[in-house]
Amino acid sequence: MSRVHTLHSIPVCVQSIEVTIGDNAYQQNRVNQWTTNVVEQSLSQLSKLGKPFKYIVTCVIMQKTGAGVQSASACFWDNTTDGNCSVTWENKSMYCIVSVFGLAI
Amino acid sequence: MEEYNSGDELYLCVFQCIEGVIGGTDYNQSKVNQWTASIVEQSLAHLVKQGRPLKYMVNCTIMQKSGAGLHTANSCYWDTTTDGCCTVRWENRTMYCVVSVFVVALAL
Repeated sequence: MSRVHTLHSIPVCVQSIEVTIGDNAYQQNRVNQWTTNVVEQSLSQLSKLGKPFKYIVTCVIMQKTGAGVQSASACFWDNTTDGNCSVTWENKSMYCIVSVFGLAI
Repeated sequence: MEEYNSGDELYLCVFQCIEGVIGGTDYNQSKVNQWTASIVEQSLAHLVKQGRPLKYMVNCTIMQKSGAGLHTANSCYWDTTTDGCCTVRWENRTMYCVVSVFVVALAL
């Protein structure tokens, strides 16, 4: 499963980010809407693929100011059928990390 | 979610894991890698020990407090009667820690 989802999830996530954020500079009053839009668009594109999977999509947007950030995930699932993929995207003023977890039904 | 008392039980379990790993420490770039790994592994181990027919995903993010903005969101496509999630936000003087746990039932 992991390979199939890596192939399909990455372009879906990148497109959602590009369409939502694109070249915009970090703006505190808009970032709430951006994270919501990125996860919702990614999820709706993934579910349209019609595969027998449950999906979890998370999005983190962080302003670039030199702060350090670290993220880790651990999963207890079926290694033969479930998998995940992460996309890290950035522009001049912010980082955006989108993770997709796919679990076979 | 199914009879699983996710609200408090899960929150407390994860909160205690965070406190156990980074409670009382300041942000340290050389240790943060180890901290996130320990938090997710310990949280997952506690959940798995409960022996329920569930799949788990634990995600931990630690960010240094420097005035930068951080925003997270998640969206899930699953069975709302059996699956659920819980997010724990923790902070001290020098860093923020956000841990999200996603619980998915096995389709039997």
